[in-house]
Amino acid sequence: MADLVLNTLGKKCPMPVLMTKKELKKMSSGQTLELITDDRGALKDVPALVNKIGDKILETKEAGEQITFMIQKA
Amino acid sequence: MAEENGISFIVSDRSFEKFGMALILGTTGDAMDVKMNFFFTFWGLHLLKRKFKPKSAGMFTGMKGMGGMMFRKKLGKFGMEDPWAMIKDAVENGNMKLYPCQMTMDLMNIKREEMWDYVEDPIGAAGFLELSANSKIVSL
Repeated sequence: MADLVLNTLGKKCPMPVLMTKKELKKMSSGQTLELITDDRGALKDVPALVNKIGDKILETKEAGEQITFMIQKA
Repeated sequence: MAEENGISFIVSDRSFEKFGMALILGTTGDAMDVKMNFFFTFWGLHLLKRKFKPKSAGMFTGMKGMGGMMFRKKLGKFGMEDPWAMIKDAVENGNMKLYPCQMTMDLMNIKREEMWDYVEDPIGAAGFLELSANSKIVSL
């Protein structure tokens, strides 16, 4: 179970990235965020953001249109 | 001051498409902590005006204004309800800076007062190149 869940279904690039960054900014070190998106571009964009800002993707799941990332704040 | 490894964008066109590119790259760069300068010159200056509504360049003649409004509405559905509020956030975070070009403002008779108040003071060609000394320069 993640500490926080962020649902961005229906939102397109760059919103999943911007909303993820906003959420991560509020979180404390070690906390986890579950991001749910149906933007295909997020498959590459979210890892690009997370790598750049130094946090970590623990898991990526794809089920149909839906992509779920588990992200841990550094 | 020249930023290390930043990106400087030149915007010389007033179309919705160029506005969209500046919006998306600027806000995403902010999320990724990239320092960016946007230098608005010639027709691009219109994009900094509070009352300006960009038209679509790619749409058929006579449909350009409607195309801009249609894009705006669709982007709203994608989650971008208020593009200028998103840009303002990126500016306030210190990652996105909007510079109008002084000479072309004079050439085209565009006033600082018509622009959003979070736009930087106008600069010239030398000022822009100095800011971009350590940056990649990209013309949108």
